[in-house]
Amino acid sequence: MSDVAVAVELEAVERRNGFSRRTLRRLTRQPVTVAAFVLLVIELGAGALAPVLEKKGWNNIDLSDRWHNHAPTIHGHLLGTDNIGRDVLARVLWGIHASEQTAIIGGIAATVLAAVAGLTAGYFGGWFDAVVMRIADLVTGFPVIVVLIVVFVWLRPVTIWDATLVFALALWPFGARVIRAQTVAVAAEEYVAAAQALGASNRRILFRHLLPNAGGTIVVTLTALVGQIVLIEATAEFFGFGVASIARPTLGNLIGEATISGIGPYNVLGLGWWVWASPMIALVLVLACISLAGDGLDAALNPRQ
Amino acid sequence: MAGLVVKKIGLAVAVLLALTCGSFCFFAWLGGFGHSPGPSLLTLYWRWLRGLFGGSTLHEFSQPTFTRNFTLQNVTMLQALGHTVVLLACAFVLVVVFSIGLALLAASRRGSGLDVGARALAYLGWAVPGFLLALLVQLLVNAVGGARGVGPFPIAGWPGTCPAGIGVNSGHLTPCPGAGSGARYVLNVLRSTALPALTLAAGFVGVHARYLRSALLETLARPFITTARAKGLPERDVLTRHALRASLATFVGALLSDFGAILGAAIAVDWVFQFNGLGTVFISEFPVDFGSVNPYSLVPLLFLTALLVIATSTVGDVATYWLDPRVRRRG
Repeated sequence: MSDVAVAVELEAVERRNGFSRRTLRRLTRQPVTVAAFVLLVIELGAGALAPVLEKKGWNNIDLSDRWHNHAPTIHGHLLGTDNIGRDVLARVLWGIHASEQTAIIGGIAATVLAAVAGLTAGYFGGWFDAVVMRIADLVTGFPVIVVLIVVFVWLRPVTIWDATLVFALALWPFGARVIRAQTVAVAAEEYVAAAQALGASNRRILFRHLLPNAGGTIVVTLTALVGQIVLIEATAEFFGFGVASIARPTLGNLIGEATISGIGPYNVLGLGWWVWASPMIALVLVLACISLAGDGLDAALNPRQ
Repeated sequence: MAGLVVKKIGLAVAVLLALTCGSFCFFAWLGGFGHSPGPSLLTLYWRWLRGLFGGSTLHEFSQPTFTRNFTLQNVTMLQALGHTVVLLACAFVLVVVFSIGLALLAASRRGSGLDVGARALAYLGWAVPGFLLALLVQLLVNAVGGARGVGPFPIAGWPGTCPAGIGVNSGHLTPCPGAGSGARYVLNVLRSTALPALTLAAGFVGVHARYLRSALLETLARPFITTARAKGLPERDVLTRHALRASLATFVGALLSDFGAILGAAIAVDWVFQFNGLGTVFISEFPVDFGSVNPYSLVPLLFLTALLVIATSTVGDVATYWLDPRVRRRG
């Protein structure tokens, strides 16, 4: 290997190593981001541990009369019960469990697709780039919620895994656009031209140079997509499409179920505010923490902005 | 300029054709159309497309729409489109006015309480989904003014159509708002649009104010701003005449590329506020399963939604071209 090649490789490696240590330092210097991360870990952790924390499941009914529509209390049901005596805390925890499973797995899958499409389209260009980006334009211009409703009805009954797959396929273009833009910029750098001149294979350039450089963008894309999935899934399920609350509670269908006839002056079920307020607060907290954490990560990874 | 417009319109027509053809064939296939003997799916689509120019398809747009239980809704598809356009237009005006104001203040007083507040608003707008904000606004209105709404602003509904949606007042709108005629009708429309449009705009003002603020700060660091200041221009003119003018293209581009999300939120707001727009019709007309799906009622809805999206993006491209000389030079 010539000196130039060694220097090129060293630059890429050095960039990557310095990058993570400095990033961590920049990250821990932002109190809001750290707080958001901690809150997010607590909430998602509680959701992930739902099978341990609420062993009786999401449909366990407390049959005794006094537990129908009971307000939150320290004795027994921390977040109260609904009109047939189901524990609201258990349902919300299982709801977070389902929502985060869809969001995290779907988000990772969408990000992988986005990274593959964005890196290859940005590096190779030409007709491949044009095709990928036109698909991205089509998908990102149309409200995702409309497409999702169509697909959810088609796949009925929708399981969590169906929803995960649909989100991965529907949302990758959002990430691919950003990653492609980053790749196009990096591919124009001199060290990529140097690597090409030295006869490095396309695979080597993609994995040694372009992928590490897009790392920050990919991480930020992942957090953004996870947030998007939580948001869009909640909206679709609020409308009554997607995973049904009878099959499996999610944050969206819990809010939908509680607000269809349990809110305001025509509350025929006599539902208490805690039944709809609990999943709402859980949803808003998750979304707020994801966006704060994502912005903090972005600021730490791309300090120029 | 004319070349660009022709190119964009051609592209828009191609996308619309592909979209309607795909969705028509998909729904017709699910609904059991197109089997032999009988016309093929493409023949049916061709007939539908021909009908769009003055035939039976066009007639469909002015027919009453149905809910998924086949009960009649008293709104036609064209009326629904009108309601959605009014909602979107009012929300767009609010977003543009408030974001520009907020961004100018935030950029000129960097790090102040106002700047931090605008930032917090952006995060809040992001964290509270459209449907949730709409529900919360309704709950608040209900708590303050009861089921009739607050002051002149009704809690839900579109003047002249009795809604049956979701939310605080689902299916029980009291009273069913009167339509009136002439100026009275316009006033009634504005009254019932106020709360939904504010709700829809609130979710996007913070985010777009932030985009514009960072674009402004980037512009303010450029040499031509220093020149303008050195020439003794008052700071207000530097900000509005020079910095804002140069950052506007970025802002408009970001706002219009966000149109998919805004329309998605508009569907939710429309549904919760029982606005009888495309969102309400779409959600209530959409079948719960595809056994009995009717492509002739669903595809027009998707067509109108796509038309809205594509028209906006075409207008956006032309606006960017017009606003930004750099784009014009690149061709």
